[in-house]
Amino acid sequence: MEYGPPPLFNQGVSARARLAFFSFLAVALIVVDSRAGLLETIRVGVGVVLYPLEQLMLLPRDVSGRVIDFFSTVSLLQKENEQLRRAAVERAQQLAQAQTLDMENERLRKLLGARERLGNNAQLAQILYESRDRFSRKLVLDRGGQSDIVAGSPVLDETGVVGQVTRVFPLTAEVTLLTDKDQTIPVQVMRNGLRGVAYGGIESGTMELRFLASNADIVNGDLLVTSGIDAVYPSGLPVATVRSVERTAKDQFARVVLAPVAGVHSHAHLLVLQLDRSQIPPRPEERKREAEARKGSRK
Amino acid sequence: MKPAWLASLLGVFAMRPARPAEPVELASTAAQGAARGYTPKLLLSPVNPLFIWFSLLITLLANFLPWGKTPFVPDFLALALVFWNVHQPRRAGIGAAFVFGLLMDVHDGALFGEHALAYTLLSYGAISLHRRILWFPLGSQMLYVLPLLLVAQFASMLIRLWVGGAFPGWMFFAESGIGALLWPFASWLLLAPQRRSVERGEARPL
Repeated sequence: MEYGPPPLFNQGVSARARLAFFSFLAVALIVVDSRAGLLETIRVGVGVVLYPLEQLMLLPRDVSGRVIDFFSTVSLLQKENEQLRRAAVERAQQLAQAQTLDMENERLRKLLGARERLGNNAQLAQILYESRDRFSRKLVLDRGGQSDIVAGSPVLDETGVVGQVTRVFPLTAEVTLLTDKDQTIPVQVMRNGLRGVAYGGIESGTMELRFLASNADIVNGDLLVTSGIDAVYPSGLPVATVRSVERTAKDQFARVVLAPVAGVHSHAHLLVLQLDRSQIPPRPEERKREAEARKGSRK
Repeated sequence: MKPAWLASLLGVFAMRPARPAEPVELASTAAQGAARGYTPKLLLSPVNPLFIWFSLLITLLANFLPWGKTPFVPDFLALALVFWNVHQPRRAGIGAAFVFGLLMDVHDGALFGEHALAYTLLSYGAISLHRRILWFPLGSQMLYVLPLLLVAQFASMLIRLWVGGAFPGWMFFAESGIGALLWPFASWLLLAPQRRSVERGEARPL
């Protein structure tokens, strides 16, 4: 590249110039996307274009799954049926109790004029695939903006909380799992009501409870449920169990490692709860601005 | 009768050789070549640009398969991009790598521009090495391809760690190793259309 090529062999812009241009563009995109999040419309547009291709590539797996299902033996189905029937009987009593409690609760709430609890409007969605991205834990569901799924909605399976919808495309939605490093959820120890915030763990497939004093009353096997103080997750949903508690003299916080309750890898269907935005308190900046506005009006 | 210089010039333009500086005597006397440690190389017919885009699309689709977090699954698209940037740097360039990177970003739910940057670096590396790589036998070519793939992976890892992603573990880089091991297979497969003879006859069914 030190000498100029004769015009006959001119190869256009040099590779180095192109490298500089495209890598600058890429870095600019990364910065804009990570800091400002202005590119969501472009992303959604590209996502819609890619949707048919992605569906096409899911076909081999789905077809093979169906073929295997077809040949799965009757005895397996019978066994499963038996298990399900037994589980249904076991749960019938709980269900009856829950129903009576529900009715009672509803009456009391109406009496109090309280708002209806969120969580009644839930949608069943199917897991399309797990994202291949190694740096995050994400799933893609087969419902999106067309089915009124909004970003921020909690996602559950029948055992507990799985994660939260973080990005919505018209026909699909991305769910960030609780085990993702950046995902947080407010929790409470079922046994004694101790509150805390659980973060995605450093080790894959785990979560951790940070900033809990070393003398906090928490032991292995404790069940953590959502505390409901964030108005995103309804309270009382199982989240995780305590796997290990490490207390060292040099740290003032205990290191609590959690194992999520919901088995994400074993389920094909998840429940997406509807998010009631009216219950979410405004962001701190807005509050500050509101306060300033109030101050201004008082003057 | 054309003069010899004209014929050779026409020959050069007609074949668009992937190895422009290949000495003529290599092909002519295989025994001499073998004595020097070279294997005689086939003259390839010109590449069909449609096949380049088709193969890139197919590898993109291969990346779209629901791999999930299965370990050791190589980035097929990256391998195909390296291949075409080495063999046809003027047809599949850095711009193509960038655009395919953006598509991968949207599919993966990764940061917008992460794969684009990785593939841009990959493509530049491949283009700047393309004259050298093809002089080596396939086994040694793998040793050139491996660092290219590693650099791309390393770039995307740096970006994610900077933004606050979780460290995926060292086995993450094994994907590049598998990708490099697939290089001979990719070369065989992607050069197959160019290896076909122009005149189809009974002696040459393909």
